[in-house]
Amino acid sequence: MPVRSVLYWKPNQGNVMTNEEVMSKISECIETLHGVEDQECHCHACVTFYTPILRDERASFADLPQDFVGVLMMEQLNKQFFVMQSRWIVVEADSLILPLIEKLSSYKPKSYITLNGTLYKMGDFQIRLFKVLPDQGNLKGIIAEIEYLPISSIEQSKKIMEEMVDTLNELASKKSLEGHFVQAKANYAKYGLDDDYTSQHTAVQYAATSLTELIQSALRSHDN
Amino acid sequence: MECVVQGIIETQHVEALEILLQGLCGVQRERLMIHEICLKSGPHLGTVASEVRLLCDLEQSEPSWTVRHIGGAMRGAGADQVSVLVRSMVESKTSKNALRLFYALGYKLDHELLKVGFSFNFYRGAQITVTVASINKMLKLHATDEAVPVTPGIQLVEVTAPATSETYTEVASAMSSFCEYLAPLLHLSKPGVSTGVVPTAAAAAASLMSDGGGTTL
Repeated sequence: MPVRSVLYWKPNQGNVMTNEEVMSKISECIETLHGVEDQECHCHACVTFYTPILRDERASFADLPQDFVGVLMMEQLNKQFFVMQSRWIVVEADSLILPLIEKLSSYKPKSYITLNGTLYKMGDFQIRLFKVLPDQGNLKGIIAEIEYLPISSIEQSKKIMEEMVDTLNELASKKSLEGHFVQAKANYAKYGLDDDYTSQHTAVQYAATSLTELIQSALRSHDN
Repeated sequence: MECVVQGIIETQHVEALEILLQGLCGVQRERLMIHEICLKSGPHLGTVASEVRLLCDLEQSEPSWTVRHIGGAMRGAGADQVSVLVRSMVESKTSKNALRLFYALGYKLDHELLKVGFSFNFYRGAQITVTVASINKMLKLHATDEAVPVTPGIQLVEVTAPATSETYTEVASAMSSFCEYLAPLLHLSKPGVSTGVVPTAAAAAASLMSDGGGTTL
């Protein structure tokens, strides 16, 4: 499948624009690149953060993972992905894994992030621009997913993806946006994923981006 | 949810059972080689201790994985009235890292088995699967090449069918009706109810082998 690169918007220190204003400006940047909004396509994904359930209140979480994440993508509602960054694990399962996890009663959802977005078509590229919405609260961040349609090799598409990211950041700067897009860091080889792009690669990027977003959002809330 | 019965048969009669099943089911048998890895939750994990099974199908050119959770058996008057065990069962196909994931989640290896045999999957009042397999244990961790039978000379026969809380009585009835055809060769009952081999098995097997299943048992 075509390669995708997931980016999160990192605002500069002291930025005064709201996320809604930034979102609107970024949409203008994409339209400057002749991106056309696909009115009929609503992009959606959900990242769930799980926490272990302990039988004994005195027991410790220490040996149990705190970064067990589930990823559900609208395009593949019959699939559920799990990612654990600290152990470089990604698993793809069918949707029955969710009631199975529930029956085990060993992990439960702690919080989740919803990504609601718009698809822009730009020739060989597609850009999905997502609002990051926590389970409680308002728009907390922005994620962009760039898809390059002709190529499924990550290595072969690397340069052109980087050029597109640079182009977007340049346009954002010209619009006086105080921040820039950062690519999600994902060492696919460590996850056992090869150069041919798959949905598992996307899940790994979403998990990495969502955790970074959560941390950034927490830091911004702290600063405020 | 699923309905299930089990029984045992001597390995020497398995060929006869296969002939009988072929005649009854009208479908081709499928070869079976499943590495079943049973994991249990660590000491403090979960509201109660839990068990999950990872099944690796080694018969495919590329091994495929399934995660399965078998829950408690149904209880009460409804359960007592059927001759099959009705229990909750959820399974999901997964990619190859499922075992690493569950280890990382705090699950530990309890035991592992290698099931080698065949299965028939067909519809006869319910979607029924009959599995006939030798159960083997591994002498070294995950060493499926070095597995030895748990009970030499004996194979496990399992008959299962998916069901819901609304359909289990019909499914149980369909299974029971089907299992009656197998009675001369083996006795099938709820798991945990010990039955042993049936005394008519040898004669029934001989009859099946002599004319390839043409004789009505």
